[in-house]
This record gives sequence, C-alpha cells and structure tokens, in this order.
Amino acid sequence: MRRALHGPWISILLTIILLNGFSQPAWAHAILMESKPAIHSSVKGPEVAIWLRFNVRIDGSRSRLRLLAPDGSQQALPLAKQENPDILQSQASGMKPGAYTLQWQVLASDGHISRGEVAFTVT
Amino acid sequence: MMLKLVDVFGYLSVILRAGTLVFQSLLLGGVLFVLWIARPTSEIADGNFAKVQSSSLRMLRIAAIGLAVVQAFYLYVNSAVLMATAEIGLRDVVGANFFISGSVIFVAATLTAALARPGRKLAAIWLAVLVTVALGASVMTNHAASRMEGRVSLIIVSSLHELATGFWIGGLPFLVLGLFVSGDRPTQWYITKRFSRLALVCVGVIVATGIGMSLSYIGSWGALYGTAYGVMVSAKALMLGALMVLGGVNFLLLRNCSPDAVMPRLRRLVEAEVGIGITIILTAASVTSQPPAVDLVNDKVTAQQAWSRIKPTWPRLGIEALAQSSANTPARDGVQTDSAPKAPPTSVDGTPLSPKNLADIEESELNHHWMGLLVLAMGVLALLARSGKAKWAEYWPLLLIGIAIFIIVRADSEAWPLGPQSFWATCLRPEDLQHRLAALVCIGFAVFELRVRKLKLENHPAALAFPLMCALGGALLLTHSHNLTNIKEELLAELSHVPLGILAVFAGWSRWLEVRLPAKDRAVPAWIWPACFVLIGAGLLNYREM
Repeated sequence: MRRALHGPWISILLTIILLNGFSQPAWAHAILMESKPAIHSSVKGPEVAIWLRFNVRIDGSRSRLRLLAPDGSQQALPLAKQENPDILQSQASGMKPGAYTLQWQVLASDGHISRGEVAFTVT
Repeated sequence: MMLKLVDVFGYLSVILRAGTLVFQSLLLGGVLFVLWIARPTSEIADGNFAKVQSSSLRMLRIAAIGLAVVQAFYLYVNSAVLMATAEIGLRDVVGANFFISGSVIFVAATLTAALARPGRKLAAIWLAVLVTVALGASVMTNHAASRMEGRVSLIIVSSLHELATGFWIGGLPFLVLGLFVSGDRPTQWYITKRFSRLALVCVGVIVATGIGMSLSYIGSWGALYGTAYGVMVSAKALMLGALMVLGGVNFLLLRNCSPDAVMPRLRRLVEAEVGIGITIILTAASVTSQPPAVDLVNDKVTAQQAWSRIKPTWPRLGIEALAQSSANTPARDGVQTDSAPKAPPTSVDGTPLSPKNLADIEESELNHHWMGLLVLAMGVLALLARSGKAKWAEYWPLLLIGIAIFIIVRADSEAWPLGPQSFWATCLRPEDLQHRLAALVCIGFAVFELRVRKLKLENHPAALAFPLMCALGGALLLTHSHNLTNIKEELLAELSHVPLGILAVFAGWSRWLEVRLPAKDRAVPAWIWPACFVLIGAGLLNYREM
C-alpha cells in the first residue's frame, strides 16, 4: 500500500522540487450531454445509428469514434458530416447481439481534447 | 496508450495555459504601461522617464519571448497529442482552431519582442495592434469560443475580462519595476497615481465581467460549491477580494499621505499584489480545464454531501492504526480503531468501499491528520512567538524537522524504516527518492528559518525564500487539471484542498510583507501568516476522503 502524502507542506516541496504535486492525471472539457444509444441501454441490431450531443462546439473532422465489439475487436466508425456544431453522428452496421462500448474522442472548438465511453447492448 | 497520452497531457496543458495567460497579461499590462502610464509629461524631466521606458520595454520583450515560447510548446504538444490519438497528419491539424489561434499568438508575440525597443515611435502603434491581436486569438481558445448559446456576447465579456486583468495585474510588475528604476519621488508619484486610477477602472470591469460570466457558466448558488468549476471560481473571487484590499490600502495611502511616507510601503504592498494577482491568473488556467458548472446536470455535489465531508470530526490519530497501516496490511477487515465509523463506510454516492479502498483512505487520512497536527503546532508556536510572551516558541521551525521525519517514516509503508524493503533497495525508486529529497528540504528550511529568526537576518534577501516557497506551493495547489471519471469525489477533495491552497498563498505573501515592509508597518502581516498556518493545520486535521 503506497500513497503519496498530500499535506500542503509535502505538496509544496514535492511539486516545486520535482513536479510531483496534486495534479490529477486527466483533463476534460467537452461533456457528453446525450447519446443514442444511451449509456447502458439496449438497442436492436444489426444496424445502429450513433448520435452524440456535447455541451460545446466540436471539431468533427478532428474527432474520432471507435467501437469495441463483444469479441474484443475494434472498429473505427466514420463520422457523418456535422449538421450541428455540438453533434456527432455515425452508423454502425453488422452488429451482432452482445455488449459494445463506443469510445469517443473529440476536439472542442477551443482546443481541448476530451474522451469518454458509452456502453450499450445490442439485442 | 492513446488514453495514457491524453491523461499525461492534462496537467501539462493546464501549465501551458497558465503560462499563456500570465505572459499575455504581462504583454497587455506592459504595453499599456509603456504607452500610457509612463508617458512623458512636461512636469518631470525626460531623463527619468527614459529609464522607466527602457526597463519596461526590456521586461515587455522578455514577456513576449515567454509567450512565444509557451505558444510554440503548446502548438507542438497539442498537435502531437491530436495526431497520435486521432491518427491524423500535420496537414489536418493545421486547420484546427487551436492551431490557428496559437500560431497567431506566436507570431504576434514574436513581433512584439522584435518591436519593443526604445526610440521607435511608430512601433508604439504596432505594439498596441499586436497585443490586441494576441488577446483576440487567446480568447478563441477559452470557454466562450466553444459555447453553443450566447457565444458572441461571452467572447466580448471574456475579452474585456482578460483585457482588464492584463492591464491591472499584468501592469503591476511594470509598476514595481518603474518604482525601482526611477529613483526620484516625483516620477514615482506620477506613475503610481496614473496606475492607481487605471486600476480602479480595471477592478470595476473585472468584477462586472466576472459576475456576468459566472451567471452564464455557473448559473446557480448550488453549483458554486457543488462543482469544481464553481469552487475554483469562488477561490478566484476570494483572492481577488484580498487583492482589492491591498489595492484599497494603496489607494487610501496615495490620497491621504505624502509621497515620502507612501512610497516605501507602497512598493512592498504592490509586490504582494503581483504575487496574489499571478496566483489568480494561474487559478484561471485551472478553471479553463473544467467544463462550466451549468453543463454538469447530474454530477453536482449537494450541500448535505459537502457538509458531511467537511463537518468537524475527531481526527484519526490512533497509534494503533498508524502501526497497522505501516505494517503493509492492505485489508484490515474487522479492525476497530477509536474513530472507526459504525456504519459501513461508503463513497459519496453510497457505494460501499472495498477493504482495500478503505485501508488506503484510512492511511491517507491518518497521514493528513498527523501532518495537520504538526502544522497546527507550528502556527500556534509562531503566534506565541509573535505575542512576545514565550521566547522558546521562536524555535517553531524545528517542527519542520518533525515533518521531515514524518515524511521519511510514513511516505511509503512498503519501504524502510517501517516496511520490509531496505533503504538501499528503495533509494533510487523515484517516489521514495522524491520523498527523501522533500524531507531534506524540510530540514534545510528548519535550519534556515531558525537562523533567520535567531540571527535577525530578516533584511537579508534570502529570508524571502521561505515565503516564496509557501506562496508558490499554494499556487500550485490551485493550478491543476481535473478528470471526469469521478466528478463528485474530485470535487469533495477540491473542497478541502482549495482552502489550504488559498491559505498557503496568504501565508506566503503576508510573511513576505512582514519581511519587506518598514519595521513599523509589520504588525498586521506578522499576525496573518501564523494564523494561516493554524487554519491550514486545522484544515488538515479535518481532512477526510469518505
């Protein structure tokens, strides 16, 4: 069991000397506000429409969607042309029943890179 | 690998954003200072202004070079991460908003560095144009630029906010420099009066635009304490309040005292203003790494959840628990300590904690509480020493050695002296090496502070190292990125850490003032920093993770 000490004195010294401070190892800016399929929902296959709405404007041409299949295989999903700046759309086909994870990574208009996942089941 | 890359990038990007905001503010403040504040007047000899202008332009060049370097690094890092994670080429990155904005800032900063030289009359106009362009490009990489609603008005409000911040906080270092190089009272008085009038306007703009942005980005009182964004904005507001108090003191001094009485005090107060002001800018960089509070629909912490985490509770100081957590026993089911809760411990969402999590949390709390006890003792002794009624309390820096011992003993329960792994086996492991170096620094500070106090070295420049470290540590506590994997737990940790960061900043700058102000003006700051230590200790003693 090893935990860094987080008292201000310790952090003062550690962060200054060795850049080992309180920093959390991730950042985030764009939030997924709504999605189809919804998180932990069930949808009918084999054709599934993907629709993601974010809280900020997204640079669609520099964002990515990836689908993890139940057998562990991965597939990059092509993004449709953006109709609204906060929405990404795609289409997944040939989906067999099982648990899938949609991984998204987006570039917000202000330059922030964010990522997340949507787990859903195809029946 | 992709996920790891974005994770590692997080903190670095906040640092780069912080660098951008600080240098951008210096650019704005510097250009305004050169073009307007230190504008020659017939009342004062030209030679005096020449010195001020020349040194200000030199500092402006340095700030411009700093901004260009930070932007170049930002462009490189952001592009590299995007290319690696989105699997695209440089040609595709070039059209991205951040790349265009960053490139514009880089070019504007580089040209500013080239033009900021004495004796170039036309350059003055170009400097104003260039910093305006840099400001505009910078605003295009903040929250306003990516909003779906009210985008244009938010961009305008953000621009005004950053402009006023730059003019005031970014101008303060130039004022300090101007006061230092001018040397004669009339020039000092002239530039200070002009700056004071400008600062008054800037404070009004900052407060008004800050309220406007808070209404848009925070939206409710609950989000003010229930989201990390709200908490960090509150921290900014609190420090701005402190800055306004210092500015208010300067304002009153300028209007009620003679130049000879004001200047020795004013210079020192402005130095502290610079420090706190830059900390506010660093905190702003941290705010930009978070989604606005209004967007967190389901992840706000309730007042009840916040209170249950911060309400005063007896600290976990049990020697038994200390020994057990040091004995490398991750799971301690059934072990009851004095402070063990009766109900099954849960996370903020009510999820029962696993024995491993519980053991980790208990150990962390134990560490915080012991550290709190030591810091509290330091604060109380420093207060006693200040009262003049307990000479022996002057030896409070010796408690830093106690902290050093605590770090060595408690930092890694697997390693020497309490764990099974020997000193030599762990001496090159980065974490252990860091902890032991930190302990050595603590010991160094103990010896150093004791010498400062006992040998009355307070007028020695080296006496400023300790308050600077304190203030810098607090600033670093407030400059961090946030992840969204466990938003509520992140926020609850924030609720305890942010006040400690603010107190450390106040402690550092009040000690700075105690050292720097004329002897007769030291009474107030001399009480503030020990009181901050006491509060930091109390905060640590009440620290909890469940």
